Parts: sequence; structure tokens; C-alpha cells
Amino acid sequence: MLETDKLNTDMEKRYARQIILPQIGPEGQEILGKASVLVAGAGGLGSVSSFYLAAAGVGHIIIADNDHVELSNLNRQLLHSEISLGEKKTRSAVRRLSQLNSSIKITPFQKELTWHNIDSIAEKVDIIVDATDNYITRQSLNRGSLKYGIPFVFGGVQGFNGMVSCFVPSRTPCFECVIPQPGKKKKNPGIVGATAGITASIQAMETIKLILNIGTEKERLESRLLRISGLDMKIKSISLEPDPDCPVCSHADFKV
Amino acid sequence: MEIELNGLKETIPDNMSINALIELFKEGDPHLIVEVNNRYIFPKNYKTTMIMENDQIEFINPNLGG
Repeated sequence: MLETDKLNTDMEKRYARQIILPQIGPEGQEILGKASVLVAGAGGLGSVSSFYLAAAGVGHIIIADNDHVELSNLNRQLLHSEISLGEKKTRSAVRRLSQLNSSIKITPFQKELTWHNIDSIAEKVDIIVDATDNYITRQSLNRGSLKYGIPFVFGGVQGFNGMVSCFVPSRTPCFECVIPQPGKKKKNPGIVGATAGITASIQAMETIKLILNIGTEKERLESRLLRISGLDMKIKSISLEPDPDCPVCSHADFKV
Repeated sequence: MEIELNGLKETIPDNMSINALIELFKEGDPHLIVEVNNRYIFPKNYKTTMIMENDQIEFINPNLGG
């Protein structure tokens, strides 16, 4: 068997269980393989979303984080393990994701994402997956999303609760329409690891749907904020609409 | 008048705006999201949106951890 034939067979086997889905198929798998995604954070959310995106065969994942792995991370940050303690999170993430899927490209970005550097990444990716832990970084991601006309899959967690929404330039409100002003970052809020797992799994699902254009805007989490309440195990969604006076997106020069 | 706030019956004074309700319940989260009868209310409209009898109101504190 030729090396290229073996490679193709391996790829077919690896993704067989998703390729058989009519919504994906071989064409969808090829699209996933050509997609680039920024996972902004290698913590609780980023661990799980990047893992599912790598497993699904998203061709290029840029994983950004400025922190090092600490013992208190390990209740939820499943990319890292005891051997990664003290290591750069992006280094640990690249190693684990490459072990899972060596056929995709994974690029580390070991810096804090800011207004100054978001352009250099946003221009290279198709989607931004939020896995940050603060408002200010989300503002930068929102601006990158609007400037380059790419979706921003918001996710946030605390305690037993999580939230997800897809902010898509020119189709939905932006993050700052919904949460317009910064507040104080809560220092080390409590969290059950599974909260991040549930929330980030939904983010990964929505990211794949956006890449492959699966479902209608209503079926995706566009113009809806999903609220997951783990304590009483209720899931609700709120309808959102763009703020016509939003100082950020109402004046954005969309590419889409 | 009676309203439902986060699933609980509450009795509040008449002629209250969302802003006044936020103050009444000492809700201090600057990121607060408010939903009235399943409709999202923009923060800029908190002062002018008046609460009506039997309104179902949700105060939602966004989860911004990661």
C-alpha cells in the first residue's frame, strides 16, 4: 500500500463515526481539516473545547495562554497533568493535543491576548473560541471577531453554572452589546470541573456547527444566551438582540 | 404589586423601574443581565423600563470564569 493510501485510510478510520453523519460526510471532514480555530485559554474551558476540536480533526488550533500549570488547576484543566506542573500551559497543551491527534497543526501562543496582539491571530483563524477567565480579554476577542468578521463562541463558568453564546458579526449582537461594561475580576472563584466540561463541550459543538454551517441560525446558539444551572440541572436560553447604539459593533466595518 | 423575581414571588412598590428594582434588591454586579417576561433588556434602558404587575423578571449574573 502506498504511504498516501495508508494515510487516507487512517484518516477515514479515525473520523469514521462522524463522517457517517449526513451533516458531516467526507466533504465536511475535509472542511474541518482546513479550518483554523483560536482557542483563547488553556484552562478549564480551553482544555475541553480544544480536546474535542482536535479529536474532530480541526486542521489548525492556535492555543493561547500566559499561565503555568499549578496543582489547583487539575480539578478541571484536563489537558494538564501532574507531570506538567510548573510548565507553560501552552506547552503542556500542545503535547497532550498532539498525543491525541498528530495529524493536525497545533500552535502555542504563550502571551496574554490583548487589543495589541489580537489582530495578528484573528486574521489567521476562522473562529475564536472563548476560554478566558476575564472581561478585558473577552473585549479583545470581541474586537478581533468584529474586525475580521469571524464568529466568537463565548463561554463562561462559575461554580455549578455556565453560559454559552455564538456572537457572529453582522448576524447577532456582539459580546459588548450584552455585557457592555467591565467589572472587577473575581479572584479564584470556585468551580466544579464538570461545569467547565459541560460548557466547553457545548462550545466545541457550536464551533463545529459554525465551521460546517450545520443547522439554521436559530438551531445554533446565535442571538441566544444558553444558561446551564448545574445545581438544579436546568438549562434555559435568553433571546438576545443587537444594540443599535452599541459603541463597538454598530460602527464596525464588517468583512462578512 | 406582585412580581416574580428569579422564580420567587415578591411584593414591591408600584411605579418601579428596573434600575430601582436593582437598587431595592442591592444587586451590585456590574455585568448583570436582566430579562423581563423572556425579553432581554439593554442596560441603557434600565432607568426607563417600568415594571408591571405580575412581570416575570430574571436577574442573571454572568459567569465569566474560564
